[in-house]
Parts: sequence; structure tokens; C-alpha cells
Amino acid sequence: MSLPPDYSNEISSLSREILTHQPQDVLQFCANFFLRRLESQRAEFLLSHHHSSPKGRGMAETTFPGGNPFGTSPSHTATYMQRLDEEDENDHVASPTAASFFPNSAMDRAQSHPANEDTFGNFAGFGGFGDAFNTRPRPSGAPEPQPFPNNYNLNRRTSVSAESLNPASSDHSDWTPPDHPKSPEQQARLREAVASNFLFSHLDDEQSAQVLGALQEKPIPTKGIKVIQQGDVGDYFYVVEKGSFDIYVNQSGKLEAGPDGQGSRVGSVGPGGSFGELALMYNAPRAATVVSAEASNLWALDRVTFRRILMDSAFQRRRMYEGFLEEVPLLASLTPYERSKIADALETKKFPPGTHIIKEGDVGESFYILESGVAEVYKRGNEKPVHRYGKGDYFGELALLNDAPRAASVVSTTEVKVATLGKNGFQRLLGPVEGIMRRNDPSKLQDADGVDPFTRSS
Amino acid sequence: MAAAVHKLLHPHRSRDQEKEEENERQKSATEHARDEEKHTLAQWGEKKAPLEPGQIDKHPDQKMVGHSSSVLRKDDFELIKTLGTGTFARVWLVRVKNATDGDENQVFALKILRKTDVIRLKQVEHVRNERNVLAAIAGHPFITTMVASFQDHDSLYMLLDYCPGGEVFSYLRRARRFNEPTSQFYAAEIVLILEFLHQREGVAYRDLKPENILIDAEGHLKLVDFGFAKKVENRETYTLCGTPEYLAPEVIRNTGHGTAVDWWAFGILVYEFLVGQPPFWDQNPMKIYEQIVEGRVRFPSAMSAEARDLISGLCTVDTSKRLGNISGGASTVKSHAWFKDIDWDALYHRKVQGPIVPHLRGPADTRNFDEYEPESIHREAYTKDMQEKYEDSFKDF
Ligand SMILES: Nc1ncnc2c1ncn2[C@@H]1O[C@H](COP(=O)(O)OP(=O)(O)OP(=O)(O)O)[C@@H](O)[C@H]1O
Ligand SMILES: [Mg+2]
Repeated sequence: MSLPPDYSNEISSLSREILTHQPQDVLQFCANFFLRRLESQRAEFLLSHHHSSPKGRGMAETTFPGGNPFGTSPSHTATYMQRLDEEDENDHVASPTAASFFPNSAMDRAQSHPANEDTFGNFAGFGGFGDAFNTRPRPSGAPEPQPFPNNYNLNRRTSVSAESLNPASSDHSDWTPPDHPKSPEQQARLREAVASNFLFSHLDDEQSAQVLGALQEKPIPTKGIKVIQQGDVGDYFYVVEKGSFDIYVNQSGKLEAGPDGQGSRVGSVGPGGSFGELALMYNAPRAATVVSAEASNLWALDRVTFRRILMDSAFQRRRMYEGFLEEVPLLASLTPYERSKIADALETKKFPPGTHIIKEGDVGESFYILESGVAEVYKRGNEKPVHRYGKGDYFGELALLNDAPRAASVVSTTEVKVATLGKNGFQRLLGPVEGIMRRNDPSKLQDADGVDPFTRSS
Repeated sequence: MAAAVHKLLHPHRSRDQEKEEENERQKSATEHARDEEKHTLAQWGEKKAPLEPGQIDKHPDQKMVGHSSSVLRKDDFELIKTLGTGTFARVWLVRVKNATDGDENQVFALKILRKTDVIRLKQVEHVRNERNVLAAIAGHPFITTMVASFQDHDSLYMLLDYCPGGEVFSYLRRARRFNEPTSQFYAAEIVLILEFLHQREGVAYRDLKPENILIDAEGHLKLVDFGFAKKVENRETYTLCGTPEYLAPEVIRNTGHGTAVDWWAFGILVYEFLVGQPPFWDQNPMKIYEQIVEGRVRFPSAMSAEARDLISGLCTVDTSKRLGNISGGASTVKSHAWFKDIDWDALYHRKVQGPIVPHLRGPADTRNFDEYEPESIHREAYTKDMQEKYEDSFKDF
């Protein structure tokens, strides 16, 4: 007669454990092992009875069912986050025992039954497996525990990905974004239409101009034209200049054949509105069908152009900063990796003409690189500027090293753009500057002390 | 040279005869090589022991795994059951067919990607990255080992170590949320993975989520799905990829991203462990992205101060302030108060017992995996045109 397979399995995993841990007290170890196995098996049993097994697979179309398909369309907005907001505010002032974040959720139960904590599996210093085990298996037919209040989708989530993008320098070195002419009024209207969209509100002036320039006119001659169809792949984002559009959602997740195939109307978009912005992120199936309600005018932007504009400007900015940083003797020993980290952390600031960027006598906090424009250096007692800075010049770098007062003032002559980083930021990323300079050459520190940024010629 | 000698010895034989014999010889040579390889694969499963971080990349030949095999083919494996499907692939539990004595019980996970899907979904570059990264890192205690890769006319195959415990995702959803010690244990093993990938390999993983973290037979984690992993070293990269709730703000804004995205996602993961759902959520994905870019995480009042502090540090929009990305890298995460009970060295050497050790009936037990729809019979052909255009990109697979 052979041994039952379950037995052989247990024994072989016990043997593995013994080999790994080499226990001194073998008997105790084996006893612990079996206790643990028993606990774990029991825990698993309870776990599998706590919740019925997950229903449905995560599919791209059902990942975000229903709801408002387009952020800027005037249909309903998600209400639960607002509720959370309010609760969050209470949270700031309330005592730690105040109402919890998710009302009626299992978290409250866990709090109110602290004695049940760690009922299972207190192994190797690790406690039980979630509060799931604190709840005894429910007799079938008993109501489900309170579901997640905000309908969080509990299915497996699939990944998303856009087409691969490589910066200009590596392949399409002569790529420039398309520029479709627009009247100043159209320009202003479009600017306003996208202003509240977070994908556009972070753009700088140059990016913004490029993106607006790339919007392409799409006249819609009559009523009843389907601009996008639910379930189709999405490549374009649209802004409505004039006219109006109806939005339809079919509960099945895609446009179907037949008279009711587009589902029910959930809202409409008019001038200044926009739709389809998810297409600016990656190729996801359209969440709704959009049909013209009259002759209209649209402006369209495709994802690759949009993301390429953002990428190219970020790429150029980073390489420019790295180039500038290479010229700063104080930072000569940075590795390319560290330089790219600093370049990533540099913050762009703009100053109108006549601004004191740094003031003589103040304690220095930040270091600056002049990105564009002209600035002049003044020293107390001199009427005339003692020096002039242009693109690529840097100043205030001694602030990274010590708290000595600024040796001169720097005042913008024209409008200037600087890239700046504070001492704290620098240290947070790379540790103390002294350490970095001492790295290659201990005499560097000596030299650096002698650097006077205001007498160095540029 | 060998042929010349052969001719001298057998001057009277016809050309045809010779050719036939040559073919025979070659055939039995590949047969032999195939049997050898199957045996080695099966044996490998028995011998595995965690390599030290330094050994993983320094001695590739010591690993005997992770190579591109020219002899293996789909027919060498019996497909037992689908373990999971993703956007791009289907993963099967497989057994080595016609195995030599003693090897019959060795099972693996076989990830199959159709070349047409890879091309249609514009994932050619990503699949190459996946294979190359997996080959480079085979042997890490908490990453699924790619034992070998191979291809045929229309598909790509990656033979992986089978993780019988199933996805952390399933346990998390069933338990609704993990308590602190459980979360700490799993989070800590992830920290070791990220530390290794970032600091030793220069690799950004880019798809951290409970669905991609499996539990092995001993209760330790194994990270799977390197579909978006990329060797970035010190250059930023731009292609948007990941899973909506886990995308970092710099990925959404397309300002260039690097390994720091994994620390962001790690913060989301810890939050999801403790709360049962990620911090940024809306039915409309664009609203999720808006919340992410804004970066204001709200915490349930029951969450401990240490956990909040850790998550806030990780989910910091400004990468120059993000925990894990600042000076000290992963060590700043390891020394965070929330991890104060972790013995990092014991953890790496798999000496710490995990909170769940899957109960298994045998090495091929699939009870921890869900059921999946059978594969659709509709198959898009891999056409001559595609082949001409893309076959070169797959040649090292
Ligand atoms: N080595 C393995 N052992 C057991 N199961 C596995 C293994 N590898 C993958 N799986 C299962 O198959 C699923 C899909 O695999 P994977 O994530 O690699 O595919 P994918 O198509 O790249 O998915 P995604 O949509 O996340 O990109 C996993 O989530 C997991 O459940
Ligand atoms: Mg996956």
C-alpha cells in the first residue's frame, strides 16, 4: 500500500523547511509546522467561504461601466468623491475615533472588534490575514456584507499602453508638429475650451501654442453624423466650436445594429465643450457614441501628435538643463545619472523685467540657471552693473554649499526665464554637496570656496 | 573537414544516400538535444535556490536558465489549463511531454503571445524588452524565473516557473483588505524586488499591481509580467504604459519617466492592501488621471500614522521628493518606520514565513486560479507581409 499523496506532500514541504531553517529543536519545529499548516488551511477555508468567488473577468469595455464617459460633457458627475471630500475635511479636525472614511465598511467592524484581531496565523511575527477571518462564515442566504460604497470595480484590471514614443533626437529628428491656421477668435475660443481640462492646464506657453496649432478643423455638414462610435478604437480628441452633439451609451458597451443600437441618450455637448479625451492617453474603446444634432464645426487632435509635442518639449528641456549643468564647475563631479536627476528636479520660473532675483546680503537658498533673457549684477556702492548674464549663465550656486549671504544682487533686465533648485532639493536628491565635490578630488572643496560667481566672466 | 574525411572512407556511396544519412544524423541530434534540454529544465526545478543579488547578473552561465532555445517547441508540452489571460497573452499550466523517468511531474507556466496580436497592439518593442529583462534577472528569489524562451511561425513562448499560489489579487479581493503585518510582509518583499531591479539592473518595471504578484508554493511572492519592464538606466523614457489606477503623474503628463514610477505604484499598492481599493478611483478614467496628477491622497481615519506617512512619501507628485527616488534610493523606504519589524536579510533569504502558505495537493494543483473562457478559435493569420516587416524584430526571441 502506498502513502496518501497529501501526506507525501506535507512531509516533503516539511523536509524543505527543515533544510532551510536547520532548526535545533526538531520536534518543536515539526509541531509548529503542522500547527501552522492547520491554521493556514483553516484560514484558507474561511477565506473561500467569506466571499463568493469573484464574478466576471475584467474586460476593457467593462472596466469603467456607465458613468459619465466624457469629463467635460454636462451629464452627471461622480458624486461619491464629493462625499469623500467632505468626510476628509471632518477628518482633519476630528479625534482619531471619529467616523471613519468608509462608512459601514468592514474597517469599522475591524475597529469595533479589536479582540478578534490576529485570530489566525500569527506566524513568525506576522499577524493574521486581514480582518476577513474575524467574520464567521455566514449561513447561506444571509445578506452580503455592506459592499464598497463607491462601486469600486473589483475585477482584475488589464493594462493599457500607448504606441511607443522615442524622442526626436533618436529618430524623426526633423519632426515638427502640424500647424493648422486659425483666426485669432478661433484661437481664443479653443484656448478657453481646453483651459479647464487638466491635460492642457499644465502646459507651458510654447506647448500650449503648439497643441492649439495642431488642432485640425472638422466641419460636420449635417445632423445625424456619428463622430465617434461606442466600442471603436479612439485616436482623436474633439473640441466643439459651434453646433451641438448628442451622447448615447449602449449598456452592452458597444454600438449595436438596429434602430436602438446606439443606446440611450445620456447628455449633449455644445460650443466650448469637448469629448473623447481618453484617446489622448492611449487607444481605449470609446465609451459612448456621439452624433451631431445639427450642422457643426469640430476641431480634432490625435494622440500621437499630442504626446509627441509633450515629449519633445520635455526632452529638449531636459537635455538643455543637462548641458547647462555640465558647465557648472561646482557640479563637475556629478555622474550623468545625477545630472539627469537634477535636470528633472529643476523648476522653471519667470520674472518680469526689473525683478530682484537674488538680493545682496540675503541668505542664499537656491541656485539659478538663466534659460532665456538678460539679467545684470549689481554690488552695493556701484551705480553701474558689474556683470551681465545671458542664456546658459548660472548664479547663486554657492547657496548649495553654505548659508553665506549673497555677495551681489541679480536683477532682470528683460523678461527672464530661470531654472532653479534649492539647497534642500539638491541635498534630498544627492546628499550633501560637500560630499559630492570631495568625491573625485579633495582639493575641489578648496577651489570651490574660492569661486566668486560674480567676478567670473561668462 | 568532417565531410571530406567521410568521403575518403566511403568513396562509393551516392550523393543522395549521403544526404539522407546526414539528415538522419541531424534529426537525431536535435531530438537528442531536445530530450537533454527537457531533462535539464525538469531538473532545474528541483535545484533552485535563491541567488545572491550579485550572482544574478554576474554569472549568467551558472544559472542554466533564461536562454533562447532553438530546439524547444510547443509540442514538447502538454497544455493542462489556462492560468490567466491578459491584454496580450494567455498563460497555461504545462507539463513536459514524453519526459524521462522522474521528470513527469515537472510543470511550468507557458506564456504564449501571438505575433499578430503583438503587432496589432503595437507591443513588439515591449515583448522584446520583456524577454531580455527576464533573461537578465532569472534567479531572483521573488521574481518568476524564465526558464527558456522560444518561438514558432506565429507565436512567441516564454517558459516560466509555475507559481501555484495564484495572484495576491485573489486573496486581497476575498479578504477585502490585509491587516498591517500581512501588508508589511508582502510590501517588504516587493521593496526587495524594486531595489534589485532599479539599483542593480537599471530596470523600471512599470506595471505593479496585485494581479501581477503571485504567491509561490512556500508563501513567498513572485513578480510576473515583465511586459512593460524596460532597462532605462539613467535616461528617461516616454511611452505611456501601466494600469490606470497605478499610473504615476509623470506618465500621464508625458514629461518623461523612470524607475520612480514604480515607487509611486508601490504607494498605491500598499494603500490598496490596507484599504481594499486604490486611492484614486472614478468610473471615468479621465477623472482618475485628474486625481492622480493632483496627487491628494485621502486616508481612512483607521489607518496608522506610519502607513500614511509611507504612502504620502511614495505618492508624491514631485519626483525629486518622492520616497525611493531621493538620495539613498530603496534604503530610504527600507528604513521607514512602517517597516521597522522587518529583518531584510532574513527576508531576502526566504527565512521569514509568509502569512499564507497555499495548501496544495501536488505540484500541478490549480485550485488557486480562476476559470477562464476557452481561447477563441478565430485566429488572425500571421501573413507574409507581416513576416517580412517584423520577423527580424523577433529573431532573438
Ligand atoms: N509563472 C506563472 N505561474 C502562474 N500563473 C501565472 C504565471 N505567469 C502568469 N500567470 C498568470 O497569468 C496572468 C496573465 O499573465 P501576464 O500578466 O504575464 O499576461 P499579460 O497579457 O502580459 O497581462 P497584462 O494584461 O497584465 O499585461 C497573470 O496575472 C497570472 O495570473
Ligand atoms: Mg499582467
